[in-house]
Amino acid sequence: MALRLKLEDISYSYPLPGSGEAAALSGVSMAVEPGEVLCLAGANGSGKSTLAQVCTGLLLPEAGSLYYGEEKIHGRGPLRDFRRKAGLLFQNPEDQLFADTVARDIAFGPRNHGLKGDELEKRVRESAALVGLPLEELGGRSPFSLSGGEQRRAALAGVLALDPEVLVLDEPFIGLDYEGRRSLEEALTRYRDERGATIIIVTHELSHVWSLATVFGLISEGRLLRFETRAELLSGDADLSSLGMQLPQWGALARELLRSGLSIDDPADPRALAGAMARHKGAHDGG
Amino acid sequence: MVVDTTTNELDIEIEGLTYTYEGAGSPALKDISLRFERGKMTCLLGRNGSGKSTLARCLNGLLLPGEGRVLSCGLETSDRSNALEVSRRVAMVFQNPDTQMVGETVEEEVAFGPENLGLPTSEIRERVDYALEQAGITELAARQPLRLSQGQKQLVAIAGAIAMKPDFLVSDEATSMLDYSARLRVVELFERLRRGGMGIIHVTHFLEEATLADSVVVLDDGLVVASGTPRDTLGDPGKVRALGLDPLAVTIVAYELEKHGFSVPEDVLTVKELLAWLYA
Repeated sequence: MALRLKLEDISYSYPLPGSGEAAALSGVSMAVEPGEVLCLAGANGSGKSTLAQVCTGLLLPEAGSLYYGEEKIHGRGPLRDFRRKAGLLFQNPEDQLFADTVARDIAFGPRNHGLKGDELEKRVRESAALVGLPLEELGGRSPFSLSGGEQRRAALAGVLALDPEVLVLDEPFIGLDYEGRRSLEEALTRYRDERGATIIIVTHELSHVWSLATVFGLISEGRLLRFETRAELLSGDADLSSLGMQLPQWGALARELLRSGLSIDDPADPRALAGAMARHKGAHDGG
Repeated sequence: MVVDTTTNELDIEIEGLTYTYEGAGSPALKDISLRFERGKMTCLLGRNGSGKSTLARCLNGLLLPGEGRVLSCGLETSDRSNALEVSRRVAMVFQNPDTQMVGETVEEEVAFGPENLGLPTSEIRERVDYALEQAGITELAARQPLRLSQGQKQLVAIAGAIAMKPDFLVSDEATSMLDYSARLRVVELFERLRRGGMGIIHVTHFLEEATLADSVVVLDDGLVVASGTPRDTLGDPGKVRALGLDPLAVTIVAYELEKHGFSVPEDVLTVKELLAWLYA
């Protein structure tokens, strides 16, 4: 499949007060396809939030190139076009929300893109529905009067209203409870399926994206170490704790079972884990 | 003075606590009665908006009960003359340590509380050294708090609390924003403090952290809907889900195993325990 977004040898550093600079990213190369859900996983301070901002054209790298499809993004015009196709959900929804009502907040982006009247209203309604935000009830309220979970969904609706082909989310699950995480996961899956969008999720918490992500990029100290699938994370001997992360309990269990020689059809499926254990236990207790 | 023999100066006791935020239609906490003990770690769980942060803030007088009462180490929080002593005895750390940082260096940051108590310099020095050592951050003493990692900042915030020599430490999601390694250090520190006799009350979304606690309290819609040991409260994935929580993977697998005719004891919560059952 054609690539949607490609980064080639990207480097970025933040100036430090006084003297010198701190490298946030060095030599990062990666590529994502339409419909993929890429999890960029790393500890706090690993550079993953900086990478999220580079992926949407918000930060310009000092070195390296960004490609959208076959096009190298170079110069003001192409950058502006790319920014229209890429959306970023910030970690803190309060950094994103600003209008006096939820409905106006969601409408802000598409209005700037020239949508108006019925078309604009329809886009706002669809975006709110996609994230499960009841617009009749909350549309007229101040975004700052909402709960944390509602704010996250309102901010996401505002990003989705721009209809991005590349959707980047920075720690979207932090602070959400079980149901909040489930409903966000469903919204993202729906958007990916309906729009064929590319989704990039930045997180330090693998358990939150364990079933959603199609591939994991491991980041440490500003470098993208390697890409792994879920199966590779389980079977390989990657030491995630040295990267400040851990497998979710699902994965830790599957990994132990695989290591002791049990065969599991789908390590992400609890029924498969139970089936493998039952076969082992049955054979043992019986014999 | 009438001495109420039912109060215990070592515990935090909550009797019929109801709290309603200004302008809110219904109370955030409804007729809650609970007891927290020193030397124990209790995890407060519940979905967003269940009231767990509100409850945490009632324990050290940040919020005062609308009805009922909170006795923190025998001191009624509603009595304004107790405010200072209550906030010293029951220390609090929050999700975002940045909101708590005031000092130029880590050392100053940790000294801030004891200085406000008007203690002699030698005592302040002693307390700061002790707190830094307990938190495992002695080597950060001269650093600027705002230049530290998120996890280090949280350890500094906790060291600041330790320097007040509190009887209880209340964590309002102090681990929520931290990555795994940082979270592990904070939870290990809680465990160390607990063994030293401090009572730990920890609001968290992570059920795996709750498996380490002595007891678990689950709130929903302002009510206590479950309480007991982690094994009593977290073993049944159906019940856990109904409380708005993410069941432990191990308990879901144990539930699936029943369909194969195996009965895994309900007190199995960790990977290690499930594997021990499997290979027994």
